[in-house]
Amino acid sequence: MNRPVAVSLEALVAVAAVAWATERLLPVLGLASSALLFLLPVLLASARGGLAPGLVTALAGAAAYNFFLLEPRFTFRVHELDNLVSVFVLGAVAVVTSRLASRLKAREAEALERARTSEQAAELSAVLAAGTPAAALDEGLALVARRYGTVRLLADGEPPDDAAFSSIDRAAAAWALHNGDCTGHGTQVMPAADWTFVPLAPKARRGSGVAAFARPAAGATRSEDELDQLRQVGLALGQARDRVVLEDERRERERLEERDALRRALLASLAHDFRTPLTVVIGRLELLARTQPEAQEALAAARRLDRRMTDLLGAARLEAGALAPTLEAVDLVDAVAAACDGIDLPADVALHRAIPADVPFVSADPVLLHHVLANLLDNALRHARAEVAIAAARTGDGVRLTVSDDGPGVPPDQRDAVFERFARGASGPAPADRSGGSGLGLAIVRGFAEAMGMTVTVETADSGGACFVLAMPVAPGAAS
Amino acid sequence: MSRILCVDDEPAILRLLTLVLARDGHEAITAADARQAMAAFDGGAIDAVLLDLGLPDRDGLELIPALLHRAKVPIIAVTARGEVADKVAALDLGASDYVTKPFDGDELLARLRAVLRNAGSQVATDGLLAAGPLHMDLGRHTASLRGTPVSLTPKEFALLRALIEAGGRVATHAALLERVWGKAHRDDVEYLRVTIRALRLKLEADPSRPDLIRNEPGVGYRLVAN
Repeated sequence: MNRPVAVSLEALVAVAAVAWATERLLPVLGLASSALLFLLPVLLASARGGLAPGLVTALAGAAAYNFFLLEPRFTFRVHELDNLVSVFVLGAVAVVTSRLASRLKAREAEALERARTSEQAAELSAVLAAGTPAAALDEGLALVARRYGTVRLLADGEPPDDAAFSSIDRAAAAWALHNGDCTGHGTQVMPAADWTFVPLAPKARRGSGVAAFARPAAGATRSEDELDQLRQVGLALGQARDRVVLEDERRERERLEERDALRRALLASLAHDFRTPLTVVIGRLELLARTQPEAQEALAAARRLDRRMTDLLGAARLEAGALAPTLEAVDLVDAVAAACDGIDLPADVALHRAIPADVPFVSADPVLLHHVLANLLDNALRHARAEVAIAAARTGDGVRLTVSDDGPGVPPDQRDAVFERFARGASGPAPADRSGGSGLGLAIVRGFAEAMGMTVTVETADSGGACFVLAMPVAPGAAS
Repeated sequence: MSRILCVDDEPAILRLLTLVLARDGHEAITAADARQAMAAFDGGAIDAVLLDLGLPDRDGLELIPALLHRAKVPIIAVTARGEVADKVAALDLGASDYVTKPFDGDELLARLRAVLRNAGSQVATDGLLAAGPLHMDLGRHTASLRGTPVSLTPKEFALLRALIEAGGRVATHAALLERVWGKAHRDDVEYLRVTIRALRLKLEADPSRPDLIRNEPGVGYRLVAN
């Protein structure tokens, strides 16, 4: 039995009870109080059952009142206007009460619906926040699918190339992606589509993917409310998806850092493993050479081997991206002096130094700069006939340091190639027997220089030899 | 003739060090790891330590304060990796100097002579300091080069004093900055470079080819007065 009929029947029973009671007690209660009692069933009926049961009860109440209480009693005849008024009042009470009651009921239903929606949203958030981002997103998608039917995440907004999506679906998906609107079935935009597409991010960040919801089965349509929920679900899924992306990026970064650390550890142990035997060889040859001059040649070769080792390690550092220059104000007087101290000057070559004592400080990593200068000097000494010159001068906003030799020079068409790894001068052997380099020295010069924000080029020296030019920035705030 | 504790895990290096040290008449006491080093050190009468930083059983850097805690002997750190950070860390932890593998025998012995010479007191009780041609009178606040008075600003005076007191050993940038400018300026390398430049103008025969005040790239300055 449906509810209005049940309520009406109950109310009619109540009317009968009131009629019976008032009929008996009329002498005690009086007519006015008895009439008021008929309001009770009407109030009950309209509050519980709404307008129709209220009106039915009002009519029944008025009839009972007329029949049992109004003179002439036990007839439906109406002598005076009284009865019309009572019918009208009972009817008005039924109308007003039922409207109030139904409004309250509607509000209650709304509140319940809101509570249910926010509970669902909270449940989804909890699922999306739990566990690893990827697992949480899968769980969340499963939950959403249970509630709203088939759902698919389109990360790049492009529906997969399968039969589930028609061309209008594709157009709707593209619109949702590019404009950040909800599109497709149930919306204002391309409602003819089978799927509903909601963006994964607020409009300001549109373009970062959409969620596609399949049309509900059995020809049902998505209501306005449901569409609002889908919009919220889309944003929640979007945030979860962002977390997955961030997590992936973090993992990738960690992996790279681990690999870098491994490379650095490998370089360090290589350095150690090569340097220890070299130390023994060089140390023993030094001792030997004190008494036996012929050991000198072996000693020089061992020292060269050590320099090549340094080159190899430097190249490996460049390759591994393990360079982290710390730039500070460096005095070229210091840098050039240290580099010159570290070289073995052949007896037949003169080294000229022209570093003005007041050259501005340059911005450099002192250790990398030391390698750069040492390699440039080493290179110049290997090609020089009789002279190597190192000089520095202030230019407009920087300092130009040159290392030049009087050797064969570098032909213009090879001026870029000499800085490549394993490049060798093609212009004949070095004049003296000073053996070739590793082919890495100049590559390291360029790599280290560029890491410090410097540029290195090669020109022709006045003597016709090579002139390497290192253009370096002046240190900020450096006094000249 | 001094007793030098040599710590290295490579027997060939220890044999080489024994031969090199013998050239100056030093006796080498050898240890292959940190544990042996501590035991030999406690055996006593060690005048200086040559400590390889890459030990099998313990970080060589950690061993520096541990040894110095037992006795104040000069320690020369030996690094193979050539990382400037290692050298600076060793010096900051109290090592007197460092050499890099492969080391030069003459250079190693020169460093050793320098640290052994300075193992005793640094400042003469009469407040006079000397290093080669340089003389400083701390009481009168005067300095002279080959007998000729040199006028120095207070910072230059303090810096020169710190360099002389280091006695031919390298003083790290941070140590010099802290000593002369205070803790807050440990990283202001430019202050140091400006004042070193000013000192060189007053002390060096050719300030663009410094002979007296030498720079070790990324590490610090060393006064070479002999």
